[in-house]
Amino acid sequence: MNFFLSYLAIAEIYALASMSTNLLVGVTGIFSVSQGAIFGIGAYTVGILTLNDWASFPVAMAAALILCALTNLAVALPALRIAGDYFVVTSFGIQIAATAVFMNLTDITGGASGLAGVPPPNVFGRDLDEPGAFILLSSIVLAAAALFFWLVLRSPFGRLINAIREDELAVTAAGKSVLAAKVGVSALSGMFVGLAGGLYAGFLSFIDPGSFDIDASILLLTMIVVGGARTLAGSLIGPALLTALPQVLSVLPIPSDAAGPLRQILYGLMLIAFMLFRPQGIAGRRL
Amino acid sequence: MLFLDLLADGVVTGCAVGVVAVTFTMIYSTTRVFHVAHAGIYTVAGYSTWFLTTRGLPFWLAIICSIAVCAAVGALIQHQLYTRLARRDAPPLVLLIASLGALVVIQNLMAALFSPNILQIPADWRVLTVGIGSIRLSMPQILLAVSSLVIFAGLLAWSRYTSLGKRTRAVAANEFLAEITRLEPRRVYITVMAIASGVLAVPGSLTALDHGLQPYTGTLVLLTATIAMIAGGMGNLFGAFVTSVILAALQTTSTLVIPGQWSIAATFGLFVILMIVAPTGLFARRPR
Amino acid sequence: MSGPYLDVTGVSKRFGGLQALDDCSFAIEPGQITCLVGPNGAGKTSVFNVITGFIRPDAGQVRFRGQVLTRMGSRRIVGLGICRSFQNLRLFADLSVLDNVTVYLPSRTDENPFRPILRPIRTEIERKRRMAAAMSILEEVGLAHRARDAVRNLSYGEQKLLCVARLMASGAELLLLDEPTSGLSAQALEAMIALVLRLKAAGRTFLVVEHNTRIVQRLADSVVFLHQGHVLAQGEPAAIVADPKLGEIYFGGAL
Repeated sequence: MNFFLSYLAIAEIYALASMSTNLLVGVTGIFSVSQGAIFGIGAYTVGILTLNDWASFPVAMAAALILCALTNLAVALPALRIAGDYFVVTSFGIQIAATAVFMNLTDITGGASGLAGVPPPNVFGRDLDEPGAFILLSSIVLAAAALFFWLVLRSPFGRLINAIREDELAVTAAGKSVLAAKVGVSALSGMFVGLAGGLYAGFLSFIDPGSFDIDASILLLTMIVVGGARTLAGSLIGPALLTALPQVLSVLPIPSDAAGPLRQILYGLMLIAFMLFRPQGIAGRRL
Repeated sequence: MLFLDLLADGVVTGCAVGVVAVTFTMIYSTTRVFHVAHAGIYTVAGYSTWFLTTRGLPFWLAIICSIAVCAAVGALIQHQLYTRLARRDAPPLVLLIASLGALVVIQNLMAALFSPNILQIPADWRVLTVGIGSIRLSMPQILLAVSSLVIFAGLLAWSRYTSLGKRTRAVAANEFLAEITRLEPRRVYITVMAIASGVLAVPGSLTALDHGLQPYTGTLVLLTATIAMIAGGMGNLFGAFVTSVILAALQTTSTLVIPGQWSIAATFGLFVILMIVAPTGLFARRPR
Repeated sequence: MSGPYLDVTGVSKRFGGLQALDDCSFAIEPGQITCLVGPNGAGKTSVFNVITGFIRPDAGQVRFRGQVLTRMGSRRIVGLGICRSFQNLRLFADLSVLDNVTVYLPSRTDENPFRPILRPIRTEIERKRRMAAAMSILEEVGLAHRARDAVRNLSYGEQKLLCVARLMASGAELLLLDEPTSGLSAQALEAMIALVLRLKAAGRTFLVVEHNTRIVQRLADSVVFLHQGHVLAQGEPAAIVADPKLGEIYFGGAL
């Protein structure tokens, strides 16, 4: 039972992150391989603030939200002046720079060995230190986020970012600032994944750079590619399947050395196969 | 002098990065695919050469075989992936995701087959050094610099004097012309991919000979190369190469002032600032 | 208000070896339909691009109601009341017909990314208001019954009407249409001409790229003849169409 609840909690956290990726990649059509980094910034912010008792859990979560939104703004910054394709480069760069920060800012982040003993989320004076209690919090957060995701998608802003994916030039001709919208969606998406990161730190109580490296970014991308772009269902199905995958793989007799690469190969093959044969994912719309 | 040594080191590395940047630019400006799997080809080159030399092939022969291997992998990606997707009008984002998928598969296939640990290509002469003034360079480094310059010159000549090269350049320079040329582009694309991937085998193998092999190092090289491509002025082969050298030299010499692990973050920060100050790049021709 | 309504003076633009516009000058009067004619590659679309701020000319300037547009971004130009369509339509193919129009509606705060979260009810009201506004525009162009359809399911003629609907939504008073009638069936053609004339009667001004001389004669109050990026003549449609020298350039001596 506990095992299942843990799986559910992790899947919910990744569902939050997937909504973020979906806004950025699925709806607006901005390619990103730095989602893992932003996820990590959320996790480290909450981890560091609560571990050192500098802030309570809710305050730390708010800080993570703001910091992740701001970082994602910084990702969009070079695009102030250059065209869309180069978002790829900025995004790769942010990911690698963030990993360097997590690894090397040893005094604060604990370096490669990570941060252990992050206290469980404390809400209204209660420690949510077991999966059963935590799942309540993560479900409430997920439900609220899902509502926001849905509201954003149907709002005029949601229509605008959809249009940007289709044809930036036609949006410009409408007298709209494509850039302002992209900056806006970057910030918004940063908040969703920041939320996910904060919960992740509180739930696992241990975080290290390896959880937020480029492989994590690829996993987050694979989730919406598999689940499906631009729908709430896609943002839930992808994480539910892909968080189960390592468990399934661990049953197979694979040497532990090759398990990591094999898992990544599987993600890579999924990216290719879905693009070739089912660009709408399981429950989404065409990318 | 340490500074001069680091500078020489950086320039040599920059030449290798330059070949990556130039070939990447060629691919991007003709096929319009942001071909991140190019980093995977770079990785394949090293492993293929390592594999063949450990099986007893002389190093030079192994490199030649690797050229063929890389060219084949590049052509395969174009033919099996990009062409198929382009045929059904896939948007750039879909091509990009597919390309990333290919990169992930290639890198991790190498890790799964040959372990993620550092491997050394067995060749005794790789430790030999040559002194030029007060600078000492290893044999692989000298070969790397010379071969990269030769490849660069060759690619420039190819794009300037052969009919295919000229056509490639025309397609890159002019969207309208690109539409016309797209009537029969498939062969051109595959050829460009094969050439760009094949020549990558040389710096890929020589860098591996010099520093040893790891599956994921190609990503960093590609990041620097793409930064160089953009900062050098899009579609400008000369700018891409020179900027690569400058960037790599900055990366190595900066270790005098800032710790090495920060150098890629510093390069990237520099890029962000540059893009805000000079968005068309350092070597851009007149703004269009 | 001094000077002409829209005034293009001495505009030149070079792309590599191609002189797209060469000292191009003409003017448009308010409330009129001006047709831009000329052989392929004469620079007609480049004129649109310069007026709407998509490309910056090497020389010359464009003035709209006395204001210099040449250094402005396309956003401000749309704000001043000029909106353009594209020859290849550039509709948002995955969006519904209605949404294609709503995206072109001007907005001040209703497209703020955080508004749906901070003020969900207000945003919902705005969304409804925008949909109603878009709907009434669709009724005007006769596409209301297709509002919920995906754009890809529209006929070509309907897609072209939708392009005009988008420009109407932008609230612009000067509409730039790039080949609005090309490729249309006879029936769709009449619908398009009727729509443009109706909008003209309602006070909008048009600059239209048009190839068909019969349509030019039906629509135009004034014709600008462009050749190799240069304006060869501007005047009454009858006079321009009748000019044998222009005819020869236009039809490549075939007549």
